[in-house]
Amino acid sequence: MSAVHHSLGVAGNYPMLVALWLLPLAGAVVCWAFGPRLKAFCGWLASAAIAASFVLAVLLWGAGTQHAGNALGANQPLFSWIAGTFDFGLLLDPLSLLWTFIITGVGFLIHFYSIGYMEGDRAYARFFAYMNFFVFAMLTLVLSDNFVGLLVGWGLVGLASYFLIGFWFERRTAVAAARKAFVLNVVGDVGIMFAVFALVAAIHSVSFGDAFAAAGSFGTPLLFGICIALFIGAAAKSAQVPLHTWLPDAMEGPTPVSALIHAATMVTAGVYLIARCAPLWNASADARMLAGTIGAITAIAGAILGCVQWDIKRILAYSTMSQIGYMIVGVGVGAYEGGVAHFFTHAFFKAQLFLASGLIIHALANEQDVRRMGGLRKKLPFAFWAILTGVLSICGIPGFSGFFSKDEVIYGALLHGHPWIYATCIVTAGLTAYYMFRLLFVTFLGEYRGNVDHPHAPGWVMNLPVAILIVPTVAIGAVLLYGGEHSPWSRYFAPQFAPAQLPAVPALTELQTSGIVLIVVLAGLAIAWVRYATRAAQAGAVERLRREAERTPAFLVNLFYFDTIIDLAFVRTSQLLGTLVARVLDPHLIDGAVRELAAITRSAGTLVRSLETGLLRAYALILAFGAACFIIYYALAAGGAH
Amino acid sequence: MPLKSNARHAKRFCGVANSGGRVVPVAIGNYIALSAVMFFIGVTGVLVRRNPLIMLMSIELMFNAANLLFIAFARAWLANVGHIFAFLVITVAAAEAAIGLAIVVTTFRSEPNVDVDEVRLMRG
Amino acid sequence: MIAFWIVGIVVIASAVWTITAKKPVYSVVALLINFGALAVLYVSLSAEFLAVMQIIVYSGAILVLFVFVIALLSSGVAPFSLGPNRLPRIAVPAGIVVLAALGFLVYAVLHAAPVSMAAHAPATTGPVGTAGIFGSVADFGKALFTVQLLPFEITALILMVAVIGVVALAGDQVPYVPSRRRAAQVERAAREAILRGGE
Repeated sequence: MSAVHHSLGVAGNYPMLVALWLLPLAGAVVCWAFGPRLKAFCGWLASAAIAASFVLAVLLWGAGTQHAGNALGANQPLFSWIAGTFDFGLLLDPLSLLWTFIITGVGFLIHFYSIGYMEGDRAYARFFAYMNFFVFAMLTLVLSDNFVGLLVGWGLVGLASYFLIGFWFERRTAVAAARKAFVLNVVGDVGIMFAVFALVAAIHSVSFGDAFAAAGSFGTPLLFGICIALFIGAAAKSAQVPLHTWLPDAMEGPTPVSALIHAATMVTAGVYLIARCAPLWNASADARMLAGTIGAITAIAGAILGCVQWDIKRILAYSTMSQIGYMIVGVGVGAYEGGVAHFFTHAFFKAQLFLASGLIIHALANEQDVRRMGGLRKKLPFAFWAILTGVLSICGIPGFSGFFSKDEVIYGALLHGHPWIYATCIVTAGLTAYYMFRLLFVTFLGEYRGNVDHPHAPGWVMNLPVAILIVPTVAIGAVLLYGGEHSPWSRYFAPQFAPAQLPAVPALTELQTSGIVLIVVLAGLAIAWVRYATRAAQAGAVERLRREAERTPAFLVNLFYFDTIIDLAFVRTSQLLGTLVARVLDPHLIDGAVRELAAITRSAGTLVRSLETGLLRAYALILAFGAACFIIYYALAAGGAH
Repeated sequence: MPLKSNARHAKRFCGVANSGGRVVPVAIGNYIALSAVMFFIGVTGVLVRRNPLIMLMSIELMFNAANLLFIAFARAWLANVGHIFAFLVITVAAAEAAIGLAIVVTTFRSEPNVDVDEVRLMRG
Repeated sequence: MIAFWIVGIVVIASAVWTITAKKPVYSVVALLINFGALAVLYVSLSAEFLAVMQIIVYSGAILVLFVFVIALLSSGVAPFSLGPNRLPRIAVPAGIVVLAALGFLVYAVLHAAPVSMAAHAPATTGPVGTAGIFGSVADFGKALFTVQLLPFEITALILMVAVIGVVALAGDQVPYVPSRRRAAQVERAAREAILRGGE
């Protein structure tokens, strides 16, 4: 439509940006191609590639936060398709710079951790190739300056997830989980595709700048439609209800994969998308209501389901789902800084929790059921303290990082006029406290209930990243987020997000909100304490846990029947259709048609063959008959003519 | 013997023509009808009889029916070419009879039944 | 006119006798009568030369050939015996259609516009050897060797082909072996044994 193309960032040449983007890809290719020869060196090589990207990101701080008139950040144009209409390039502004830090920073720590965790695995090189490929794909997603590049990254990230969930492909459960994740992600891809189609139809461009500049001119239905389509993509990728069923099963992958992809980065792609499309969301109140509601539902559903899980990674998976629900609430209702802040802190403490639980799993020879753990405080003290910090942070205990970001999200919901979402988030906070402390108590207190005689304590390669992560888990909130509007965080993001118009003065202040949340959290902690941590509870722990597992209501055990419904509605129907075609249509209709053709030809041949009697007189009769017919015809025709 | 009786037939009618008297012309439709009947008798003979020799004779009947037509129309249009063509037909009939009989002899020399229906190698 | 009718009846009767005679020799005789009657018709149509030609070639040569072949095939105990009728049942209605065609043909012919015969037969009489007389030898000969030379040559070709064909078909087809006569005797004896064995 418009010949003027709006660019979000300051256009120019940023070779460091391109290098940052492509280094992980180079690492992946090298590990793929030369993996068998490099063997153990692959791990260090891959980690070095990510570390290099992180360093480049730090060096690009200035370019990323530069502010020149309307342009924010750095824009590196890459190439044009249909010159002047579709321009593709990289965009580094505060939002994508933050995501890049997390991806490369936490990614580097997890790569480093994997060197120890995946040691001895047969496909060691392939693992690191996939991990680097994932980082490249995620960087493509966050660094693109247009919807199509984002979609490419989106798809590649789903592919990397498929690779990594099904990494141990000899296990049927892993393959099934990978397939499930991929199919659900494709549903999201389709949603984003439709949004791209609508945009191209409306403004003949796919770049962010053009889309946001024209946001006001879309009209409510089109805008809402685009937002819904984008939100479908976000919901699939970020495991929001009802497209969340893949996330718990994705825990089939190795623990570093769960930490990097399904906690810190990939699942937050939906949050990134909504934050990036803030101008679109700001213009559509319906989209905000939708996003906020779904986010809240996901938060509380994840929390409820987390209370009845027995696999340590699944508890963390539902916790992730719930926390991402918080993030979606944050960016959905318009509290972008709060939502992104929660993403930031969550990346640290969730990665921390996953890596520390990986220490336990590794030590106990791949035991993941908490009913067979217990008393590990004495056997694995380092893991205990690490997980304790993560739990305190996720529960929002004042002073820890999670406290700041979570309260900002919850209060933001109230500020933007969604009281029910606000209430749901508070209840969820209490549930979060309950199940996280339940995890802690059951795993670490009491007597050891398992079978492993000598837990094999992990080496320094695995302990170091966990130790490094303790610092941001505990402190980064206080450092960056404290101070409301004058915090470093707010100043960082001030140019990015336009100040929102708040509907009304809320009933409660932020301080009051924090107080309510604290009370609820402590209540959850108390309940968990009573159930799992007292001497009486630990006495008959085996028996108590077994009874608790038996008494869990069916609708919780079946995960609110989401899997069942999806299976019946989509999987069974498709299989039925396939069976119908294979058993009925194909053999009878299609094959039948071909067979009938052959039968017709055969019977026609038999019919004609009956003329071949070999009798001279029969042939003569046929001749005479033919001649007679001619004669009769001409006699009648000639007779009539006369 | 056969020649003599034919000559007797020929003399009788030749006398009428040679006297110079006018022979009342017969409408040509009669000749055509006669030719048609004779032709169909020949066809019937071919279809009904199973002796190959009778079939060949029926074919000769058909030839003669055609000849009659040629001669009649030659007389109707006073065209010599009808006679020439009838002559050609006779020649062809002779050749065809010769070859047909040779085939009959070759085929049925070693057959017990001289029956055309027995020769069915082309069946199917 | 009456003459025409009488001759016509003779033609048809002899034709019918040809196809219905039990023995082939009777058919030959019937055919002979047929050819004779046709010759009479030809004469009445001013085609004297053709009439004579018909008698000489058809009756005199072809029918004699037939008689020879009948004689050749009459060897054996039951000559001209027949096997079962193998024509399928559908033949009957088909035959009826064929005969119906005859009816249609005759009907069409008799109700068609008449073709007028030339009113007067110009110069059907005259001295022998004059070329202008319609149907005479001279007339025919002149036409055959001048205007219609091609049919004449083709006639010769046809006859040559016929001779070659007959020789190729029915002539000797076994290579000459000294004891051929003995082989022929053995073959004939075997055939007669087969025929006798069929009693």
